[in-house]
Amino acid sequence: MFSLRRATRAYAGLARARGNATLQNSSQNVEITTPPPPPASTSAKSESVQTEPSDTAKQSPANPSSTKENVEESTNTKKRGRVWPTKRPSITLDRPRQYSRPIGVGALPVYDEALTYIKRDSKLRKEELEEYKSLLQRAESAPDWNPADIERLRDKIRILEIQSEVNLPSVRWKARNGLADLNQTVYRHLIEQRWREEGALDLLMERIYQMNVVPDMLPEMHPSFDLRVNFPEPPPQSTVLRNRTKRKYQKIEPGVFLLPEQTRKPPMMYTTVFHTEPRLYTMLMVDLDVPDLENQTYQTYLHWLQPNVSLSTFSQSPIPLTTTHTKYIPPHPQKGTHYHRYVLLFVPQAHATERMQIPVPTDEERLGFNYREFAEQYGLDAGRGGGAFMWREVWDETVSKIYQDVLNKLICGL
Amino acid sequence: MASTFLSLRKTRLPFRVGQTPVRHAGGQEINTSDPRKDLIRRVLYPTNIRNRASPTGTWLPDVGRRLQRAIPSVQAHETIERAWFLHQRHARRRRQAEAEKKFQCMWNAMEKLRELSPRLYEEANKGEDPRARSPAETEIWKSLKKSERRAFDSRIRGLFPRELRPPTDTPPTGGWNYDYQPTLRSSS
Repeated sequence: MFSLRRATRAYAGLARARGNATLQNSSQNVEITTPPPPPASTSAKSESVQTEPSDTAKQSPANPSSTKENVEESTNTKKRGRVWPTKRPSITLDRPRQYSRPIGVGALPVYDEALTYIKRDSKLRKEELEEYKSLLQRAESAPDWNPADIERLRDKIRILEIQSEVNLPSVRWKARNGLADLNQTVYRHLIEQRWREEGALDLLMERIYQMNVVPDMLPEMHPSFDLRVNFPEPPPQSTVLRNRTKRKYQKIEPGVFLLPEQTRKPPMMYTTVFHTEPRLYTMLMVDLDVPDLENQTYQTYLHWLQPNVSLSTFSQSPIPLTTTHTKYIPPHPQKGTHYHRYVLLFVPQAHATERMQIPVPTDEERLGFNYREFAEQYGLDAGRGGGAFMWREVWDETVSKIYQDVLNKLICGL
Repeated sequence: MASTFLSLRKTRLPFRVGQTPVRHAGGQEINTSDPRKDLIRRVLYPTNIRNRASPTGTWLPDVGRRLQRAIPSVQAHETIERAWFLHQRHARRRRQAEAEKKFQCMWNAMEKLRELSPRLYEEANKGEDPRARSPAETEIWKSLKKSERRAFDSRIRGLFPRELRPPTDTPPTGGWNYDYQPTLRSSS
C-alpha cells in the first residue's frame, strides 16, 4: 500500500519516519490538561546588563502560557489540521518577565518539600554570610590580620554569596532567561558556568586545537572570558541586491570560513567578562598562514594590535575601538595558498592596571611577526586568561580589491 | 587548491541520489495458496512503516507521554534534584565532621597515654588477630567435642560466619531444616 506524502500533513509524515514521537501526537492520548513545557534554550547574547543589538539576541522560549487556549487548540487539531503552538515574545532586559512557579502548590508535594528545604538552606547561608561580612569589616580595620587570611575570608564570602542563592529556582530561571543581573556574584557564577560547561567554550577550544592554533601560535591558551565576534553577513545571492542592501552584522561561529569582503572592516566584539575590577588586555589579530617564499614555509602577519584595552563586567559591550594603536588591515589570503587561519586574541597584560607602551609596528614588521617573542618581551601570558576567537578565509576575487585599495596605499603612501 | 574550496562552496548536493521514490509498504498479508510463496514475499518485502515499540524499548511511539508523566516540568525536576543533593551533602558533611571529632578525641587520648605510660601505649597500638585464642579460650577449646570445636572456630569477630550459605538460584534439594539445633559454643 502506498501512502502519499501530502504537503499539509508533512509533519505527520516526518513522524512516520523513524524518530521519537512528537509531543503533540502523544498528548492526545493522555488526560493531562497542561501541554508539556518547551525546553529552555540558552540565550547566550542577552544575559549581560548592557543592552545589545536585537539582531544578535537568540529566541528563548518562556514557560508555557495560558493552558486553556492550548488545550482548546489541541482538541481542534483533528478538524483544522496541525496547529502550531504560539510563542510569547522572547524575554530580554527590555521586556522582562516575572518569575512564577512551574507547577501549582500541592500539585507535586516533593517539589514543595524541596522548595522549603532550599529556602531554609538559603536563609542559613545568608545568616552565615552576614557573620563573615562583619568579620571581614573588623579584619580590614584591624592592623594585625595578615593579608592571606583576609583573602581567604573574601573567598569564603564569595562562596557563601553563591551558595545562598544558586539553588533558588527563581535565580536559576532568571539566569537562563536573559534577566541575570551581573552585579551579583551568583549570576556571574551561573553565566560563567554555562559558558564553560554547556558547550560554547568547548566549541571554541575544539576549533582552536583542531586548527592547530595552539602549538603554531602559542603554547597555551586558557580563555577566561566569553568573546563573541560579529562580522557583516555575506552578500546576497542576487547581483541586483548586492549593492542595494545594507549588510547586517551577524554572529560568527569560531572556525568557520568567511569571505574576505565580510572582514573588510573590523568586527564588533561582544564580551561577557566575569571579573568586576577593570583589567588591561592586549588585543591582536594575526594571520598564521602567510607564505614565506625564501624559506619555503609559513609566517604570521599582524593585522591589528591594540594594547591597554580595559575590560570588566561593566565595560562597554561591544568594545569601542574607533582608532587603534595599529591600524586594522583586512585579511587578504593570497591566491593559490591553502586556507588562512585568523586568530583574534585578548591577552592579559602582566599588570592589570599598568598601561604598556608598545611601539607601533611598521608594515615590514607586520610580516613575520613572532607572537612568542612579542609575548616574552612584554610579559604577556595567554595561559593566565583572556579571550580568543578564530576563523578561516580563502582567496576570492575581492582580495584583489583589498590589495589595490588598502595594501597598495601602504606601499605607495608610506 | 583554493579553486577546490571555491567550487565546493558553489555546489549543492542532492537530497537523494538517483531520485528513486520510497515506497511505504504496509504489512499487507496477500494470502496465496502456497505458504512458501507467502513466506518468501514476507521476508523479501517487510513493512516499511515503523510504529510499534522496539523489543527492548529503545524506540517507543509514546515516549513523549511517558517523559511528560515522569518529568512534568524540567524546572521542577532540577529543583528537586538540587534539594536532594543538597540534603545528601549536608548529611555527608555532618557524618564526616562526627567521624573527624571522634578520631580527634581518640588521637588526643592516645597522645595522653603515650605521655603517661609508654608501655601501655605500645600495648594499645598492637594490632589484634581476631582468630587468635587466648589461654583461657584454649582451655575451653580442649574440653569441647569435635563438632563443638568446629562451631567455636567458625565464628570470628570481624569476619563472616563460616556457616553462611552463598546465595543460589534455586533452594536446596533437601528443603528447609525445621529441626535445626545450634551447637553449643562458649562465648569468647
